[in-house]
Amino acid sequence: MKKRIIALVLATLIAALTFGLAGCGSKTDDGNTTAAPDASTPAGTTETKTFTMGIDPEYPPFSYLGKDGEYTGFDVEVCKAVCDKLGWEFKVFAVNWDEKLVQLDSNECDCVWSGMTILDSMKEAGYVISRPYFDNEQVLLVKEGSGFASSKDLAGKAVAVQLGTSGESLLNEDLKDLADTFSEVVTCDSFLKCFTELEGNAVDAVFVDRPVADSYVAEHEGFVIIDEDLGAEQYGIAFRSGDRALCAEVEGAIDALVADGTYAKIAAKYEDIDAGNLLFLK
Amino acid sequence: MTLMTIITKMAVGLEKTCAIFFLTLLFAIPLGMIVALLRGSKIKIVSWIAKAYISVLRGTPLMLQLIAVTYGPYYLFGISISRNKLIPVVIAFAINYAAYFAEIYRSGIESMPVGQYEAAQVLGYSRIQTFFKIILPQVIRRILPSVTNEIVTLVKDTSMAFTVSYQEMFTIGKQIANSQTSFVPFIVAGVFYYVFNAIVGFVMGRVEKRMNYYKM
Repeated sequence: MKKRIIALVLATLIAALTFGLAGCGSKTDDGNTTAAPDASTPAGTTETKTFTMGIDPEYPPFSYLGKDGEYTGFDVEVCKAVCDKLGWEFKVFAVNWDEKLVQLDSNECDCVWSGMTILDSMKEAGYVISRPYFDNEQVLLVKEGSGFASSKDLAGKAVAVQLGTSGESLLNEDLKDLADTFSEVVTCDSFLKCFTELEGNAVDAVFVDRPVADSYVAEHEGFVIIDEDLGAEQYGIAFRSGDRALCAEVEGAIDALVADGTYAKIAAKYEDIDAGNLLFLK
Repeated sequence: MTLMTIITKMAVGLEKTCAIFFLTLLFAIPLGMIVALLRGSKIKIVSWIAKAYISVLRGTPLMLQLIAVTYGPYYLFGISISRNKLIPVVIAFAINYAAYFAEIYRSGIESMPVGQYEAAQVLGYSRIQTFFKIILPQVIRRILPSVTNEIVTLVKDTSMAFTVSYQEMFTIGKQIANSQTSFVPFIVAGVFYYVFNAIVGFVMGRVEKRMNYYKM
């Protein structure tokens, strides 16, 4: 008798779960979609085109998960405005940053737009890259009071960098001599992990893009940026090799946003992004 | 970057992959036996603790355990994160794999017929002698295929150490793949893992043959 009751309870539970999940499933198609007005229509079948931007979800201030649980950031807001302008349905897809181009190729997203540094190797591999939109530099972030004043002081010290970022490429190529003076270059799967490693004393410095460092220093106490420009570079948006027209369309929309002042308005929200470095505003 | 440079660079990481692999086995195999014996203990509380251990470590992802072991002490007690990542990585892997090994050992021990214990008792073997001289060798022979399965999985799981920024072979492969915008390092990684596991399979096959004496 007891066994039968337990079986009954279990069966009810399983049934409830199955129907419950099925119910959820019909409402949203996956966890990566953000508040799209009509998410139940499958992508591509209706007249409204869906534009999926690929972002690194841990890359403030350009792209990150906001306090309300929705993806936000400078790049995300600009892309949203672009989609509004062009009448596209806007979607966000969080990529695995070290495999972003593979994910772009496999149509998981339509562009990679997330504080992405333009590398020559991307162009050589055939990707369509938009006009650069941001002048970036690489800096070293260290703990306050650690006494490191320049990159030379870090000889024999461990430095963390995010895997797949331009900083990591720089340390492997143009800044190889500097990297060789470090005791170790530790690659992490996100910048937030790099910062955790620094906070927990597992490394002595983090090699990172200036706006990311600025935004981190603004929100966390006890960190300083070594004022030394270690590598100038530019951000761009990557599209698949056949999407030259799409790229032109997006660039055109950004130009329109610049003209009507929306772009500057979005930029004003992000203090950590130096407006002087935003190339579309020049 | 030529294929040769890619291979040499990744081979450096392979050393770290091997370090995780061998150290994990070194600790997990005996630890698993201890857990299995405790689980079979007649003292309720002891067997209950061992059950809880297995339940938690099998019930949560290895990735989570890696993060917990590496960063947990810092967040909870402010202890600096270890600079030598091999230590937390091996601890996490060893406690995780010990849970799986414990269950494999248990399945082997419980599969032995009671008659053997009775016969050993009649012949005057002590309980310890019975276990080590009669039961254990047969158990080992029986569980070898399952153990091989776990070891093969371990080879592939080593790539998860990147979660806590340990620079093993696959991480280095990803680094090269990024800076060169190339797919070759992944192919190289695949070959490395496959060859590693082929060797594991071969060695374990030989061990199985050697243990055939204990086959019933």
